[in-house]
Amino acid sequence: MVFSGLTFIYLFLPVNLILYYLSKNQTWRNTVLICLSLFFYAWGEPFCVLLLMFSTFLDYVNSLIIDRYRSHPLIPKLMVAVSVIVNLGILGIFKYSGLIVSSFNAVTGLAFPVPEIALPIGISFYTFQTLSYTIDIYRDEVPAQRNYFKLLLYVSMFHQLVAGPIVRYSHIANEIDHRQTNMAELSSGINRFVIGLAKKVIIANTCGQLATTYMGAPVGNLSTASAWFGLFVYSMQYYFDFSGYSDMAIGLGRMFGFHYFENFNYPFISRSVSEYWRRWHISLGSWFKDYLFYPLMMSQGLRKVGKAAKTRFGKRAGTMIPTVIALSVVWFATGMWHGASWNYVVWGLYFGLFIILEMLFLDKLLERLPRLLRHAYLIVVVMIGFGIFYFEDISGLLPFLGVLFGMGGHADPTIMLTIGSNIFFLIIAVLFCTPVMPWLRKWCIGKDAGCEAFIEMMHIPLNILLLVICTAYLVGQTYNPFMYFRF
Amino acid sequence: MNTNELYERLNMVFCDVFDDDSIKVGAATVAADIDGWDSLMHITLIQAVEDEFSIRLAMKDVVSLKCVGDLAETVLARTSK
Repeated sequence: MVFSGLTFIYLFLPVNLILYYLSKNQTWRNTVLICLSLFFYAWGEPFCVLLLMFSTFLDYVNSLIIDRYRSHPLIPKLMVAVSVIVNLGILGIFKYSGLIVSSFNAVTGLAFPVPEIALPIGISFYTFQTLSYTIDIYRDEVPAQRNYFKLLLYVSMFHQLVAGPIVRYSHIANEIDHRQTNMAELSSGINRFVIGLAKKVIIANTCGQLATTYMGAPVGNLSTASAWFGLFVYSMQYYFDFSGYSDMAIGLGRMFGFHYFENFNYPFISRSVSEYWRRWHISLGSWFKDYLFYPLMMSQGLRKVGKAAKTRFGKRAGTMIPTVIALSVVWFATGMWHGASWNYVVWGLYFGLFIILEMLFLDKLLERLPRLLRHAYLIVVVMIGFGIFYFEDISGLLPFLGVLFGMGGHADPTIMLTIGSNIFFLIIAVLFCTPVMPWLRKWCIGKDAGCEAFIEMMHIPLNILLLVICTAYLVGQTYNPFMYFRF
Repeated sequence: MNTNELYERLNMVFCDVFDDDSIKVGAATVAADIDGWDSLMHITLIQAVEDEFSIRLAMKDVVSLKCVGDLAETVLARTSK
């Protein structure tokens, strides 16, 4: 079941809301949520729901042990190690075993049978969530959850299980027991959900159809212009689809009293790659920062490297060298997380390289450039990044890059026609990549109080209108891709 | 160590880490107030503070630090142990 589907919007969600709001107390409400979340998950993956419950149970037990033996010198560390090994192990087996074996075969020339295990939906999200829970308990950031079902509620919550955001237990721990629901929150949640739905169904799907035409075309048929156009619509498809899904998740949470953190903050208006990654898939970036980058930088190993570098090469080297090493590891891992294919690792290291270069000297250089050039720099880097991301079979990438930069390819007289016939749509899509709505709102509120009241009043008719349009699209649409099967 | 001394020493560390002698930190100073204090420099700062006060900070301190006031409190807590 997908959020952007008629079954979800008109059957599952209303049933969920009715049962939830009819429930007399928090315990009943939590029960409704767990049951429906497990049902939602089992709808797509009847057996893997057990894997989800097992992964949760493991970290539930781990954390209780850590809590009990907190003063013991070894046990807490051991339990964290167990959590890391089992969670990453599960991920390794279900997600990466095919890649591991086929790569091993490629390197050694042997021919072991390559396993083709179906990837349980959301496994990349929930293993990261349960792992972050255990580590947060180890770090004494939040009290361990003594009730397994409450922990399961956090992990299995269908809002964020399938496509993020990666929610930290510490952020919603309090809300498990104390949630405020009222009309304003419900209305705000519905508004957010409808916006996300519109982004996905109206904008992302349309961009997606264009993207499939151009990115999927044999490279020989593409012109330089159509190759860039393909990247352009593909980038927009990904942004609107993913941020739309996050909007829907955040909106759904709101409807039930949960407040998840933002996952996207208009990434395409960034002026540097470092800034882009503070605005794109924020929950993943901050997960890797808190659970991989910081621990690496604070580790004995990198501290020693830093001290040695400082002694030999000076203070700056002492800071930069460990940071470069840690960043490389983080971006390798980030790339790897996005899919079991080497192009994703290349993609990760590509962005890692830009971040490292910006940190070392590129940022200072960029600051001197006019703003427009800085935006252009970022857009070009990001679009090429999407190109690397697209070609799972990396052999398709190099010819494509060639066409992008003027080598190979074929004249394509139809590209102007395509752009022309979609021009209004494309302008609107680009417009919504910018924070035009928040700007309008701020400007309006500055003008007079009546304006603010007007905006508030317009929410409901606007939501209804968008919902009607989306429903029309969904009824008529066969193209409604779900891009998160890989996670 | 009293509060003034603590903040003086912290300030020295900040000036050194961010290569800027004009920095003046207070309890309410946050990362956004200091040019260059991002997640990449955060650890450098933490380690410089550790070296200055001969303490070791826990990951919990690193991750949950919101302002210099938090940092000062943590330093006090760790030095009085």
